[in-house]
Amino acid sequence: MKRMVDFTVNGEAREMAVDGCRSLLDALRDDVGLTGTKKGCDVGDCGACTVLVDGEPVNACLMLAVEAEGRAVETIEGLQPDVDRLHPLQDAFMRHGASQCGFCTPGILMMAKKLLDDNPRPTDEEIRFGLSGNICRCTGYTKIFDAIKSAAREMEAARP
Amino acid sequence: MRRFDYHRAETLEQASRLLTELGDDTFVFNGGTDLLVEIRERLRRVRNVVDIKQIPGLSDITYDETRGLTFGALVTVGRLENLSLVRQRYPNLRSALASLGSIQVRNRATVVGNICRASPSADTIPPLVADGAFVHIYSRTDMRVVPIAEFFTGAGKTVLAKGEIVTGITVPPAADNIGKAYLKHGRRKAMELSTVGVAVSLAMEEGVCSDIRIALGAVGATVLRAPQAEAMLRGTRLDAAAVRNAADKAMEECTPISNVRASADYRRDMVGVLTGRAIKQALETFA
Amino acid sequence: MNMTTPIEQREFRIVGKSVKRDDVLEKVTGEAQYTGDIKRPGMLYGKIKRASIAHARIKAIDVSKALAYPGVKAVLTHQNVPRVLHYGSPHPRSASCTKDQYILDDKVRFWGEGVAAVAAISEEIADEALDLIEVEYEALPAVFEPEDAVQPGAPLIHDVGPGGNLVLDPVRVNRGDIDKGFSEADFILEGTFAGGRPHPAYMEPNVCIADWDGSNKLTFWTSTQTSFMVRGILAEVLGLPLTKVRVLVDHMGGGFGAKQDVFQHEFLCALLAKETRRPVKMEFTRHETFVAGRSRHPCRIWLKQGFKNDGTLIARDMKLVYDSGAYGSHGPGVTIVGTTAATSLYRCENVRLEGRCVYTNTPVNGAFRGYGVVQSYYALDIQMDEAAERLGMDPAELKLKNVVRAGDIAPSGHPIIGHGLEICLKHGIDVLNWKRLRSRDRTPDPKRPQIRKGWGIGCEMHGSSAYPGIKEQGNATVKINEDGTVTLLTGAAGLGTGAHTALAQIVAEELGVRFEDVGVIHGDTDVVPWDIGAFASHTTYLVGTAAKMAAGKVRAAVLERAAMKLQVSSDEIDLCDGKVFVAAEPDRAMTVSEAMGPSRGIPAANIVANGTYEPTKSYSFAAHFTEVEVDTETGIVEVKRVVPVHDVGRVIHPIAAQGQIEGGIQQGIGHTLTEDYLIDKKTGRSLNAGLVDYKMPLSMDMPDIETIILEAAPDPGGPWGAKGVGEDPIIAIGPSIANAIYDAIGIRFHHYPIIPEDVLKALREKGA
Repeated sequence: MKRMVDFTVNGEAREMAVDGCRSLLDALRDDVGLTGTKKGCDVGDCGACTVLVDGEPVNACLMLAVEAEGRAVETIEGLQPDVDRLHPLQDAFMRHGASQCGFCTPGILMMAKKLLDDNPRPTDEEIRFGLSGNICRCTGYTKIFDAIKSAAREMEAARP
Repeated sequence: MRRFDYHRAETLEQASRLLTELGDDTFVFNGGTDLLVEIRERLRRVRNVVDIKQIPGLSDITYDETRGLTFGALVTVGRLENLSLVRQRYPNLRSALASLGSIQVRNRATVVGNICRASPSADTIPPLVADGAFVHIYSRTDMRVVPIAEFFTGAGKTVLAKGEIVTGITVPPAADNIGKAYLKHGRRKAMELSTVGVAVSLAMEEGVCSDIRIALGAVGATVLRAPQAEAMLRGTRLDAAAVRNAADKAMEECTPISNVRASADYRRDMVGVLTGRAIKQALETFA
Repeated sequence: MNMTTPIEQREFRIVGKSVKRDDVLEKVTGEAQYTGDIKRPGMLYGKIKRASIAHARIKAIDVSKALAYPGVKAVLTHQNVPRVLHYGSPHPRSASCTKDQYILDDKVRFWGEGVAAVAAISEEIADEALDLIEVEYEALPAVFEPEDAVQPGAPLIHDVGPGGNLVLDPVRVNRGDIDKGFSEADFILEGTFAGGRPHPAYMEPNVCIADWDGSNKLTFWTSTQTSFMVRGILAEVLGLPLTKVRVLVDHMGGGFGAKQDVFQHEFLCALLAKETRRPVKMEFTRHETFVAGRSRHPCRIWLKQGFKNDGTLIARDMKLVYDSGAYGSHGPGVTIVGTTAATSLYRCENVRLEGRCVYTNTPVNGAFRGYGVVQSYYALDIQMDEAAERLGMDPAELKLKNVVRAGDIAPSGHPIIGHGLEICLKHGIDVLNWKRLRSRDRTPDPKRPQIRKGWGIGCEMHGSSAYPGIKEQGNATVKINEDGTVTLLTGAAGLGTGAHTALAQIVAEELGVRFEDVGVIHGDTDVVPWDIGAFASHTTYLVGTAAKMAAGKVRAAVLERAAMKLQVSSDEIDLCDGKVFVAAEPDRAMTVSEAMGPSRGIPAANIVANGTYEPTKSYSFAAHFTEVEVDTETGIVEVKRVVPVHDVGRVIHPIAAQGQIEGGIQQGIGHTLTEDYLIDKKTGRSLNAGLVDYKMPLSMDMPDIETIILEAAPDPGGPWGAKGVGEDPIIAIGPSIANAIYDAIGIRFHHYPIIPEDVLKALREKGA
C-alpha cells in the first residue's frame, strides 16, 4: 500500500506516493530523481548516503521514506548556495584533491557541512571523529582533512 | 530487500494491538538501524513493522536526584550522547553511546532499541547493567518494571511477551562517590561492533570500595556480571594487586565464543585487560 | 621507444601543477553520473541466485514458481543461456589468461557463485523470486586451501588447464647459478610467509545496465576499468560483431584493479535484457561485491636467501603459491608478475623462482593494486630486515647496499633506468634522521608502560604497464576546434585517480594551448579510440605518451596553417598559451582561434591526429618509513606516522599523485593489520562479506602521512619522464609495518594481516 509523503528536499516542497518499505535513499534517488546521494552498502556501514534530516546527518538507507513526512531533507544537490557559486567545502575539496572516485564525496560533504555548522573551528581530532561513519577508500582521508580545515578557515574569514 | 508493510501507531495501545494481531513476523520499528539491516541481509523475516515514533510521551528525558535518569523509548543514542548530564554523571554510558555505530546511526538508533535487540555485543547494555538500570514495559493489561539484568533471556532474546513494548529506561542516580567507565575493544577506533566491552560502576567510601558492579559484553549469550570478581574487590582499596586478581577472576567468569571477530581465548584475555583498565579509569573520575 | 632517448628538458606551463580537476566539479555537486544513477524507460531489475554450497553438480533446477511470481519477466539458468567457454580476464594481447568459465554452468565451484538470474519489475520482486528457485545439488568434495587442492586425488575443480587444480603451468625463472650462490654464502636465511585475502572494497558496488535496440545492437553501461575488453568478450560470447556492442562508462566509484574482469552478472544482464526486450539493470549488494567480486590472491611463500658477511645477497630461492579461488581470472598474470618481480628489488645474481597458481573452491581472486607483488615483496623486504639483524647492521644500510640501481636487469628484462630506489631511501634516511631514530631512548612512557614504539622501512618497485606479459598499446585522438579549443578522445577509464586531468595537462602542454581549453571525451567505445584499460599504473605513462604524440601532430598542423596565414615558414613560428607568434618578432602573432577559423575564403581547418604508443615498461620506486605503537596487553598495533618517499619520474599533477600514495597507504595499512576476507574452511561460506566485519581503516585510524615525491629517475618511455604511481604505495607500506613491529617488540611476523591476537600470542610465547 502506498502512502503519501509531504516533505521538503533542499527547501523545495515535494509530495510523493511511496511504499511503506521504501527507504528514503531509494525514494530520493529513484522517485525524486536526485542521484547525488549514493548507495554504497544499503546497511548503514559506509555513510555514502548521508543526508541531513531537519539538520541532523543520517544514513538515508536506514530511514524509511514515509518517515520523512513533514521533515526537511538536505542532499548534496542543495549544498551550493546558488547555481554559480560553490559552498566553500566544495571548492576546498576540488583544490585539495579531497575527492578521487567521488562516490563517498556527497556523504562526506554533507557530514562536513554539519560539522562546520556546529563547530566552525574543529580540531584535527574532531574532524576525524566527525567523519568516522564515512568510508573513503581512495584518499587515505589526508586530503579530506586538509580540505575541511581549509574551508573552515575561509568560512571563518568570510564571516562578518 | 524484501517488502514489508508499514503501520504507524498513534498510541501504545494501538501499537500493542497491532503487534499482537498482525502475526508472528511483526516487529516494533523505532530507530530502524538494526531492523532494516536485518531485513536487507535476510537475517530476520519481517512482514509488518509498527512504527512507534508518533506515540506521544516517549521522547522525554528527566533526571532527579532520587529516581535518577529516565529516558523514553524514542530517545536517540545521539541525543543522550550529547547531554552534559550524561557526560558528567554517566561517563560509562556516555562512552558506550559515543562508540555505537556512527554519528549518522546514532542520530536514528535508540538506547531502548539497542537493548531490545539484545545482542550480546550491544554497547549500551554493559553500562546499564553496571549501573543497575530498570526497564519500563507496557502491555495492554499493566505496566511492569524489570531490572535490566533480568531483561535478557539469551542472545537476541528478552522477557518481552507478545504485544509488550519497552517505553523507557531508568538509570539510578549517580552519587558523587561513584566512579564509572566503559571500555570497548575493537580493531578500529570507530564503526565497530564490540569484540569485548567492559563497564564498571563503583562506589568508594573513605578510600575503600563499598560497592562495585562489573558488566561484561560480547563474552556470553547475554551481557554478564562478574559477581566473584566484584566480591573480591568490595572492601578493598582497589590497589593494583586486588584489581589484577579480580580481573583474572572476571576472565574465569565469562563464557566467550570464537567467531570472525575474535577467538574465545582472546576475548577472555581482553576481559582481563579491560576490567583492570576500566576500574582504573573509573577511579580516575575521583582524581 | 628507444630507452636511451634523452628526456626533453623544458620549462613547464601546466605539467607539474595541481590544476583543478574537471571531473571533481561534478563530484562535489552530486551531478557526476555513475552507472547506478542511470535509469532507462521501462527498465527491469536483475538479481542473481547464488549457490549455497561450495562444490556441486546441479542435478535439477526448478524455476517455475519464480517465473509465475507476479512481476517476474524472465529467469535464466544454465539450461537457457549460451554455453561458451570464455575468459574472465580477457586481456586480448596477453598470453596468460585462462578460458575456464561459462555464463552459467551445471557445476558450482564456490559458495556464492551464480546459478540463475531473474529480471523483474522491481529489485524487491526480483530478490523475492530468488527464493522461489529450487536447486537440487549433488555435493562434490571441496577444497579450500591450495595445499589440499594440489594433493594427488584432490577433487578437480576444472577439467580445463594443466590439471591438478593448477591454473597454469608453474612459472619458473632461473638466473645465474643458485647452487654456486648458496655454496658461497656465509649464512642462509629461510622462512615461510603467508598473505591473507584483502578485498578492494571500492565504494561503488558493481553495476551494469543492458539495453538492446531494434537493430539488435547492445548498449551496455557498466562500472569497468576495461570497457573495450567488456565489449570484446561480450561480443565474442554473444556472437555479435563489435559494431553491435557499445560499452559506456562515465564516472566510476573506484576499482583498484578488481573491475577489470568481465563478470558473470554482466553477461546475465545482457541476456536478461535480450530475453525481455527491455533494459535491465543489475547492481550488486555490498555482500555480492565480496562474494562475486575479486580479492587479492592469498599467497604462501617459501623464501631462502644466502648472504655474505659484508651484506651482499648472493642467492635467492623462492617458491610462491597463489590461491586463485574457483576461476582463473587474473591468476596467471598475478603469478607471472608476482614471481618475476622477485628477480629484482634487492640485487641478486643467482636466482631461482617458482610460482604456482591453484584453484580452490573459494570466491574468485583477481587483479588488485599491487598485482602479486604485494605478496612477494612482503617476503623479500622482511627477510632483508632479518638479514640486517643477523649482521648487526642497520636495515637501512643493508637495504641501501642491495637495492637495484641503474643498469640492473628489471623483471621485464630491461635495464633499470636511474637510481630511483637508492635516492628514495637516502632521502628518507636524511629527512627523518634515521640514525638518531635507531639509537633513540626506548624506555617506555611511564604513563603508558604497555606501549612500545618502533620504526620500520619497506622498499618496493613497480612497473608502469603490464609489459612483457601484455604487449600494450596506448591510443589517443586529439582534435582542435575552430575556436582554438582542443578535444582529447581517450578510452582510458576514469577510476578517480585524476588520469583524465593529467592527460589534458599533457595535451595542453605539448600543443601549446591553455589547460582550460582542453576537453576530454571518454567512456564510449563507439567514439573513442581503442584502449587496453586502466590498470597496471600505466594510464599517464602509456596513454599520456600517446596523447602527447597526437598533440604534437596537431601542434605541427596548427603551426603550418598559422605560418600560411602569417606568411612565414612554419619553423619560424612558435605556439604557446593559445597564441601563435613569429619567434623573432613576437608582435607578429595570432591566436590559435584565428589560425584555425575561416578567413579570407579559407574554410575552417579540420585537424585531427592520432597517437599510438607501444611501450615497454618503466619502474617507479618507493621507500616507506613507518612508526607504529604496539599495545603489549591487547596486541593492538597502531600506525602513527608514515613518511612515504616515492620516485615517479616527472610529476604531472602533484596533488593527484600524493592522493594515490596516501590512498594506497590506507589500503596497505588495512591489509597488513585489519583486513582479511575470511572463508569458512569447512563449508566455503563467506564469514565477513560486509563493511562491519571486513575492517578497513577509517578516518580515526589513519596516521599522519607526510608524502614526499621525488623526480629522481625520469623514464624516457613516459611523457617528459613520467611514470606510474597507482600501485607502488600499497606494496611498500606492508613490510614497513611488519619491520616496525619487530623494532617495537622484537617479534617477526611473516604473515598479514597481523591481528591483535597474533601479536598477543607471540608476545606470550616470547615471554615464556
